[in-house]
Amino acid sequence: MALDEERLENVRMLRESAAAVADRSDLSRVRAQRFRQPGFDRAVWRQMGELGWLGLRLPEERGGAGLGMAELIALTEELGAALAPEPFISALMATDMLDGARLEAALTGEAVILAAWQEKPRQLDGEVETSFVDGRVSGRKLQVPMALGADAFAVTTPQGVAIVDAGDPGLSIEITPAQDGGHWGTLTFNGARGEPGRAPRESWLDEAVLATAATLLGIIDATLERTVDYLNVRQQFGVKIGTFQALQHRAVDLKQQALLTRASIEDAAAIMDEGQGPAAKAASSRAKARASDAALIVTRQAIQLHGGIGYTDEHDIGLFLRKAMVLAPSLGDSALHRRRFAQFQTQADAKEGLPA
Amino acid sequence: MSASRYTLDDYNALGDDDFRALVRDFLKECHPPELRNPVKRLHWDEAKPWYMELSRHGWLAPNWPKQYGGMGLSASKQLIYVEEFENFGAARTPDHGMMLFGPLLIRYGSEEQKAHFLPKILSGEHIWCQGYSEPNAGSDLASLRTQAVLDGDEWVINGQKTWTTLGGDADWIFMLVRTDPAAKKQEGISFLLVPMKSKGVSVKPIVNLDLQDEFSEVFFDDVRVPKANLVGELNKGWSMAKALLGFERIFLGSPRQSAHAFARLKGLAQHYGVWDDPIVRDRYNQLWLDLEDHKALYERFADILRRGETLGADVSLLKLNQSELYQRISEFMLQIAGEDGGRLEPVDGNADLHAPGIFLTARAATIYGGASEVQRNIIAKNVLRLP
Ligand SMILES: Cc1cc2nc3c(=O)[nH]c(=O)nc-3n(C[C@H](O)[C@H](O)[C@H](O)COP(=O)(O)OP(=O)(O)OC[C@H]3O[C@@H](n4cnc5c(N)ncnc54)[C@H](O)[C@@H]3O)c2cc1C
Repeated sequence: MALDEERLENVRMLRESAAAVADRSDLSRVRAQRFRQPGFDRAVWRQMGELGWLGLRLPEERGGAGLGMAELIALTEELGAALAPEPFISALMATDMLDGARLEAALTGEAVILAAWQEKPRQLDGEVETSFVDGRVSGRKLQVPMALGADAFAVTTPQGVAIVDAGDPGLSIEITPAQDGGHWGTLTFNGARGEPGRAPRESWLDEAVLATAATLLGIIDATLERTVDYLNVRQQFGVKIGTFQALQHRAVDLKQQALLTRASIEDAAAIMDEGQGPAAKAASSRAKARASDAALIVTRQAIQLHGGIGYTDEHDIGLFLRKAMVLAPSLGDSALHRRRFAQFQTQADAKEGLPA
Repeated sequence: MSASRYTLDDYNALGDDDFRALVRDFLKECHPPELRNPVKRLHWDEAKPWYMELSRHGWLAPNWPKQYGGMGLSASKQLIYVEEFENFGAARTPDHGMMLFGPLLIRYGSEEQKAHFLPKILSGEHIWCQGYSEPNAGSDLASLRTQAVLDGDEWVINGQKTWTTLGGDADWIFMLVRTDPAAKKQEGISFLLVPMKSKGVSVKPIVNLDLQDEFSEVFFDDVRVPKANLVGELNKGWSMAKALLGFERIFLGSPRQSAHAFARLKGLAQHYGVWDDPIVRDRYNQLWLDLEDHKALYERFADILRRGETLGADVSLLKLNQSELYQRISEFMLQIAGEDGGRLEPVDGNADLHAPGIFLTARAATIYGGASEVQRNIIAKNVLRLP
């Protein structure tokens, strides 16, 4: 379904402002943040707040921008293309669970509050066990991106959301450095003090899944652009290597992956903008499965097409592969999402009265 | 060399099983335990104890003939040697001397050169690196521009090499230089041997994709070496290099890397709790068959060498198949690791479980030693005789 004029304008403006905050043609900021702590810019974070991004999906009555999925994927795609290290998606997930002063601080970018929801490797849906009883949180949360830069965490529990300050003595954070130069945190809560947050909107997780897929799409497109540029400048045997048909065909195969991924993601956004339910879940999973696989194919081949220089850390093309290695399995790898797609699409078809 | 129970006159006289048992015992007894399964490729100072141990028992050069201090192993014995080293997790030592330079010298070197250099490789006195590639001469190697000009009794070298593996560790470089700028590009190239300590040589390490400083740029600024450091005939370096590529390709086509990765696959799947998943098992079995078939292919090529015949252009297929199999295994490992596929450091410091490290390292295998695209060109042209 095509977007109307107003939404097309939103998308255009978001892309433009994204380019101003995170420049896809200059990765010097990204390099400077790699393997440092906390690994991202507070100044950029505040800018994101000023631009209204941190409440992009939040309804206007809650202080958000009330924009749709088409807008969110446009933005995260740009952030992906620029390899922005900020834990934007995790923060979006968290704002959904905040109220009052916490929400305000998170929306303006004054505070970095991240979502802590996952408890097992390769987990998306399903039970969580972390407890929140008498204002105390106990349990363990995994894979919180850039956890060292957070002021607080929005923690999901069966008793509701708890907001825990990063400095709480009952919370210990173990850091795992990641290939992209960032890190993730394993959060162990041992009677940490929590204040109640609010339950996130139902579509919360699927929105994060699709936003991650769109980040990967940004990576795919930027990788392909750079690789095609390289084929147009590198010379061997007295000609540009882009002259070789073997490489032309390879580049076309990668373009095919890029286009399929875009089609899948934009379709999913349209479905999600229409409403919630199994069809929306199936669509987000379909897009993430595609994006995870395509991103690894494209970034891997980009190294190959660059030859020796692609195997150096000095050249930027490797940064895209490293980011894809982190994001492809994050919020569910392709196998998980293929299964999840089949499960929810079957439900959606049954609802429509289609044969299973 | 002080002989030991591992030092035999004729290893090929042993049955395969006996030889395999010998290799296992050797590794158990002689391999320094702290160097087992290194996370990264070792630099010379780290690998030295193991290198010297191999040297002491005469086990350093499985591929060289006995008369030059090698083990003189048959193809099938070399395969067993490789397999057992990989299964054990033996550390790879700097091996350009054994694998590339040794065979070059044995084939094209003068008697004096062989007598001088080969023993020094075996004793660990000389570590060699390979100086072929330049910034503008990669796949198109013949367009190399580093120049050597004869000045009296000395060659004067100017130019730059790049991607030189272990360039910072090496004592010597065997390099291709342009000695006749006027000739057609393949015809003015020669082989020169240059000490890395020479005045005018400078080495700048390059950090690779796996964040290791394994290769380097090497700059030559009026570097002087004696005239006698030329190997083989003047301006015939290209055809020698091409003949040598056969050795390089059979080395890179040996199942070593794939076997190394495959040997870690089951443990990885068990660690991540997916070993009993039928889909994982089927993929594992596929790769297993791929590896066994590759070994069979390798033996065919290794046999050609053993019979003293020259390898044909089809050896490119061996290198192609090995490097791509290695990558497929590494990609499956990454998939198995899930979120840990994005880890920078091994889980529990255990290199066997470091899927992302193996995945990244494997990226290079389809680039060095002739990129896959170039190997396919060679096969299309010289094997299939396509126009
Ligand atoms: C880890 C590593 C270690 C190395 N160690 C050494 C070493 O010790 N000594 C040394 O001398 N060199 C070494 N090399 C260099 C290696 O041999 C070169 O990288 C390789 O030959 C490719 O050259 P290039 O990097 O210039 O890539 P390019 O030649 O620029 O290739 C770029 C892309 O174009 C493709 N291409 C080029 N020509 C064609 C064609 N005709 N048809 C179709 N496709 C084509 C390539 O396949 C590749 O995908 C090493 C490289 C690596 C990655």
